[in-house]
Amino acid sequence: MEDIKIEDKKLGFWYSEWGFIVFVMALASGIFGGTHLYYTYHVGAFNDLAVVALLEAGLKGGGFGAAAAFGGAFLFARVIEGPLVGILDIGGALQTGVGIGIPALMLGAGFTAPLESFPLALLTGAILGAIIGVVIISIRKFTVDKIDSTFGADIMMGAGNAAGRYLGPLIVISAVMASIPVGLGAIIGAAVFYAYKKPIAGGAILGAMLMGVFFPIQ
Amino acid sequence: MTIVIILKSIIIGALVGFGVGAGAARMFHAPTVQGMGAFRTLGELNACQGDPISHFSFGLGFLFNSWATVIGAGALTQDVEHRIIPNWAAALLLTKNRNVKETLHDPKKMAVAGAIVGAILIPLLNSTAAAVPQSLQNVATKVLVPAANWLINPVMPIIFWLAALDAGKRTGIWGTILGGLAHLIMGNAVPGIVLGILIGKGVDDSGWNRITKTLVTTVIILFVLSGFFRGFDVALLKSMNIGIPQWLINLHKFFGMVVK
Repeated sequence: MEDIKIEDKKLGFWYSEWGFIVFVMALASGIFGGTHLYYTYHVGAFNDLAVVALLEAGLKGGGFGAAAAFGGAFLFARVIEGPLVGILDIGGALQTGVGIGIPALMLGAGFTAPLESFPLALLTGAILGAIIGVVIISIRKFTVDKIDSTFGADIMMGAGNAAGRYLGPLIVISAVMASIPVGLGAIIGAAVFYAYKKPIAGGAILGAMLMGVFFPIQ
Repeated sequence: MTIVIILKSIIIGALVGFGVGAGAARMFHAPTVQGMGAFRTLGELNACQGDPISHFSFGLGFLFNSWATVIGAGALTQDVEHRIIPNWAAALLLTKNRNVKETLHDPKKMAVAGAIVGAILIPLLNSTAAAVPQSLQNVATKVLVPAANWLINPVMPIIFWLAALDAGKRTGIWGTILGGLAHLIMGNAVPGIVLGILIGKGVDDSGWNRITKTLVTTVIILFVLSGFFRGFDVALLKSMNIGIPQWLINLHKFFGMVVK
């Protein structure tokens, strides 16, 4: 593995393992800060509506169990998976785990200070990020570096790449089902982008939106 | 209050953008270098083929939806970090230099570009209210949300599943079983299939050693725990018309879940 790193000149802080820990700290700190904004001003949580709703249910007095279990399970699964496949999933580990699961655990235990104070929120996030980063790098050290297996990371990367290609046609299909003018806009946009050798997803979105301005979807 | 939100959002946006940008660029060097992002983000970044306009318009498409949800419910959506920041950071760099190897794949440049995008984007999203034209908001929600949902279920499970089946018998069997169970328990097969590929390929490449055995044990514990905490055990018994024993109800109650 070391040889590959040298060949590709992937050296220095930006490619290093402790660099990874710094990046996770920054991101986790920001995400926890976002949850602080949500807790205090009801704006800025870094997650989808459905997941934020779990936390909101707890804040409204419905118990933090669901949010804590959901976020905690995601965090655990993604931290195990991350070092093995080489990509830590931000959505599961950080946005849902650090942003929803851990705050829910803290609030459930009556521990509100990290969410009420902005500096404390940033600090808590950074500490959580550091722990996650260290755990991931340790798992890498004890598994991937010691044995000759990438655990099928190439297969998963291939599947991830293939998934991206589906989005263009899916957007066109979705636009067609939304309304006739919007569908036509998406079709034309996709075709024009394809003709100019650009990915059709962008064209489909722009075409749909342009038609949506003149012919709003009911 | 708005000033406070803007100031805090600038700090949050810069921190988040810095991490997302560096993590996204490092994904292109995985698995040698530990990356951070998502497989779908990597796929989408590749799908835009280093064209700045495509990266920008792809991110823009998701902006309106994020904007609408943050105004409506205070939730920025995961798209801000998965799609908008990485794609706009890429667009920012690619307008100056079209070589992806020197821009999109460079963690330092992506971290700086990401921090700039984040420090502008997050305050903008958090501070503006009802600024999105209704018609655009409608189109974004009604076109992009179903497409993204289809991508997550069933398109991604199918792609990962077929990849697992094509990767050999052991990967196919583990992927099928864990994928199916994950769809039952967690609502999406992808995490299960990914774990199935990990186990299958791990055993293919290095046999049944301490690491692969630990992996299988961890995965089983993970499935049991998430099944329990999502109430799958109760739902299973109910759907088979079997009475739920009192000790199980008490056990769930102990962890704060009420069994109906």
